[in-house]
Amino acid sequence: MDRQTNGPGNEPAGDDKLLGLLDKFDEALELLAQARDFAKPGKLPRVLDTARRVLLQPGGAAALEARAQALEEAGVFQGSDWATPQFLLPSLTTYSLKSSSADTVVIEALSELRLLAVAKAGYPHPLVSAEHAHHYLTQVMALNLWLLFSTPSEAERETQGRLAQIPRNLFQHLAERIGYEHIIDKLIGEIWRILQQRPIQVDSAKQMITQIAICQADPSIDLGVSGQGADRLVSSLFGPTQGCREDPGLEVYRERLANMDNAALQGEAIGFARAMHDTGLVSPYHPVLLRHLLDHSDHLLAEALGLSSTGRDCLLCYRQLVHALIRGGVHPANPQGAYGLALMLERGILYQPPVAPAMWRQLGLPLSEWSQARLNLAFGEAVSPRARLLEGVMCMLGQPLGVGQGNNPTCQSARALSMWAYNDPDYLMQMVAWAARDDEIIMHFEGQPISSMESSGGVAKSLPMDLDPVSLIVVPHLDRIYAEMGRRCVGREGDPHRWVNPEFHGWWSGRGFRINVDVATGRLFELDTFLRHFYASYHPFYNGNQPVIHPQPAGIAVTDSAARFIGWHAITLLRVSLDPSETMRVYFYNPNYDSGQDWGDGVLVSTAGHGERAGEASLPFEQLASRLYIFHYDPLERGELANISQEELDRVTGYVHRSWGADRVPAAQLQAESGQAQSDT
Amino acid sequence: MDKNPDKGYIALLGWSLNAIEAAENFDRRYVVVAPDWAEEYCEKHDIPYLSWHFERLNDSSLDIAEKLKDMGVDVAIPLFEETVEWAGAINSLLLDNPRLYGQSLLLRDKALMKRRAQLGGIRVGIFEEAHDKADVIRFLKRVNQTLLKLDGDPNDPIHLKAFDKAGCLGHRVIRTPDEVDTIPDEEFPVLMESHLDGWEFAVEAWIHNGKIAFLNISEYVTLGYSVFVPASPELEQYRPQIRAQIEKLIKTFDIDFGLIHPEYFVTSDGEMYFGEVAYRPPGFKVFELLERVYGFNAYQASMLVFDPKSTADEVKAFFPKEVEDARYYAGCFGVYPRRRVVSQLEIPEEVEDHPYFESHELTPPVEETVTKRTAFGTHWGLVYFTGEDPHRLRDLLKHMEELDFYV
Repeated sequence: MDRQTNGPGNEPAGDDKLLGLLDKFDEALELLAQARDFAKPGKLPRVLDTARRVLLQPGGAAALEARAQALEEAGVFQGSDWATPQFLLPSLTTYSLKSSSADTVVIEALSELRLLAVAKAGYPHPLVSAEHAHHYLTQVMALNLWLLFSTPSEAERETQGRLAQIPRNLFQHLAERIGYEHIIDKLIGEIWRILQQRPIQVDSAKQMITQIAICQADPSIDLGVSGQGADRLVSSLFGPTQGCREDPGLEVYRERLANMDNAALQGEAIGFARAMHDTGLVSPYHPVLLRHLLDHSDHLLAEALGLSSTGRDCLLCYRQLVHALIRGGVHPANPQGAYGLALMLERGILYQPPVAPAMWRQLGLPLSEWSQARLNLAFGEAVSPRARLLEGVMCMLGQPLGVGQGNNPTCQSARALSMWAYNDPDYLMQMVAWAARDDEIIMHFEGQPISSMESSGGVAKSLPMDLDPVSLIVVPHLDRIYAEMGRRCVGREGDPHRWVNPEFHGWWSGRGFRINVDVATGRLFELDTFLRHFYASYHPFYNGNQPVIHPQPAGIAVTDSAARFIGWHAITLLRVSLDPSETMRVYFYNPNYDSGQDWGDGVLVSTAGHGERAGEASLPFEQLASRLYIFHYDPLERGELANISQEELDRVTGYVHRSWGADRVPAAQLQAESGQAQSDT
Repeated sequence: MDKNPDKGYIALLGWSLNAIEAAENFDRRYVVVAPDWAEEYCEKHDIPYLSWHFERLNDSSLDIAEKLKDMGVDVAIPLFEETVEWAGAINSLLLDNPRLYGQSLLLRDKALMKRRAQLGGIRVGIFEEAHDKADVIRFLKRVNQTLLKLDGDPNDPIHLKAFDKAGCLGHRVIRTPDEVDTIPDEEFPVLMESHLDGWEFAVEAWIHNGKIAFLNISEYVTLGYSVFVPASPELEQYRPQIRAQIEKLIKTFDIDFGLIHPEYFVTSDGEMYFGEVAYRPPGFKVFELLERVYGFNAYQASMLVFDPKSTADEVKAFFPKEVEDARYYAGCFGVYPRRRVVSQLEIPEEVEDHPYFESHELTPPVEETVTKRTAFGTHWGLVYFTGEDPHRLRDLLKHMEELDFYV
């Protein structure tokens, strides 16, 4: 709309308007620049509001880029996170740019323009280099590619109104200045990195791949040599095999299948299987083949799912069940169930006596009205709610480490679901049945029943929607129960996780418990003993080479890329072993969607390349130990406390003191430390 | 800014960031007198500060005056209605002039103020104190009897105001006896006034050595909603009469220095009626408008005329020439939500795209349900406009009343 009304004939008027606004902006900025520090907050709203109106005009972003240095020196970013651009996280921009608060959108946009000036216009910034700024902006662009190529969605219009135009104007300007080719390659790298972690939810990755495909097909966008790495991603969705290479449409493909001989079908099966296992994405064509093969050959079905001998055995043993699962839960509109099914078969969990019968129950499970409504609301009505939930169950059992908490404070519940899918699949299915059919889950806490119906409220303030089908149904119940367990611990001395974690997650969570923070003061508490104990319980060199048996809940202090404390977070300790380069690493599950995080001070959580299995995050043992604040252990199986060298402990303690523990060091210890430092030097 | 030790040392009574900022950038030494919640902020930002709670005056009230005197402070400036009598009490000690305290009490009580004005030969409407609802009904009837209304004729309204509150706080308009029931008992006693049909405006006058140093006329477009400065030529034509009225006021209230902010009505035959007068900065950000229009800081202007060490030449050099030196007209509009339930702030496009629109101070709604406005109430924030044409600005401000800023 805007572009049409700003045709050539109207441009002078638009320019006049921009110039008038810029006068007002410069005046407001001048007032801010002159104001004393204490008075700046009072002058800022006028600057931000005028900037908002400038950004709505054609050429507004360029005009503000030209004023970037003046803006920053006037104190626009003073006192906010944007004042330290070297620590800004590109991934947060997706939230700020979609915010309904005009000030948030505007200050984010101004910050981007400021970094653009640093990267391209020679604004020498004291805190970031031109390279860093360039790198940051590329990531921001890649993460928000939708802003370049789409008009505001209904949701954006609803929450942002006219504001939604600002990020678009901004990105148009950024893309023109930085160049599309940088963005696309970065984006492709990001998609691969995320997909390597094999998340259950892949809708946003699919959207981004679609965006790239559209870009590639648009002759007006010159991608140069970039975008090569996208071929596998695009083809895995839109044309993974000979039979559907040109994306002919489902109906045409179905007809082609009817005319294929065995060899051709085999070719199709192998093509789909390879695409699926390469990317973790399932093309909508894939279910068409699977359903076709149900009437033809189990051998080809196993090929089409890409099964190894383990998976094939399982398929042949539970033939009827697998057929029913494909018929009930794998459709072109929800194809990901195929990947979940394949991985589930590979895990061999159907051989556990209760799992197959539980699957049959799931196939026929009547869903409550509430569950049906929630599923329809979150995923639309292209397939039935039951099929959607079945897909979700298969995916969760196939990809236990692909569970994500979404943008919700429910890491505990996500962790529990993942742990059950990994360790106790039939229990998970029992939870799903109760929640989806009965709208109620009852768990016991120290012998007392807790009903999710009666409990007053959970950690999350509103019902989460951005979740996979199983989490969508079960998490609200788990969240309330978890919060209620916490309430029942009120008044007890120490941290409630000591009692809640074993009761909430399962009998295998160790009843032994250690925490290195004094709950009353927030200060570090017996860090040395805590670490010795952790090594003795988990480190194979100190626990008699005993691998972790059951997944164990643990708590970490999450830090940002500047190693500053952000908050407490729940993870699962899965494995501890030597990686390919002989470093002892802890492999763990993090309920965040993307486990690849920079925790600062050189602590970079890895998700691939260090012996991780899909969905696992990993860190060298001592780095993980340095962010740990809670762990559980079996009191009867503790190792040798004494054997850990002081040197190794000092390294870990150094990491703690340089990050989240910096302002938590007890006074006495500080003195002792400085004394030691003196004697060392 | 470097402080001039030969000039006065000034105490600001009450917390106003704009006033502090003005003081920081002025060559007078100053100290902020405010409750102790301000202490941390002042320490952090290096703002000279003295802790005091402005509650009812009592025996220990002189402590603060003594403290300020010991510090060498020359004069105290009230920033809010609630600190006017404190300034009177403190200044009577600092300037050794007991009369100042009595004067401040007159300026604090609307009923006393009217009587004093009447004694000074200033025209006021009919007024009376009311102690309960029966008083209000009686007054409403009597006023309308006086106006020779017959039974069934629509009543002329009367106005109810709290004795000692600033601006529109507690201001109600009553037309029928039924409406009297809506007044909560705890609002009594109140001052009742007859309604004056006419053009209401306000004045900000800076007085030095008993003379007017600068006189601004603020034109209300709609009382409680919108104001702009300087006034339109139609109102400015009364400037000589208005000036004469202010001089009368200065004499009647025996005002030697300071800033006064009176309100008047001018009726169609050019007669001026006195409404009330305040001895403090006006609400509705008129100071801000003046700075935009004339470029001088009105808080600094007040510090200047309060300071006993200011010279007449200094004062003369400080102020611009009224109306002539104005850059343009500046006005603001106080937004009240028009709907009962609102979910977001949305500046209407026609406002945002208007060349006169400058900025706004509106914030997103905290609550969805809008409390019903009983009295004139407090607006949710101001919208500022500037422009060359006073009539266009006036019509624009009027038009704002028909727009939804919260939807």
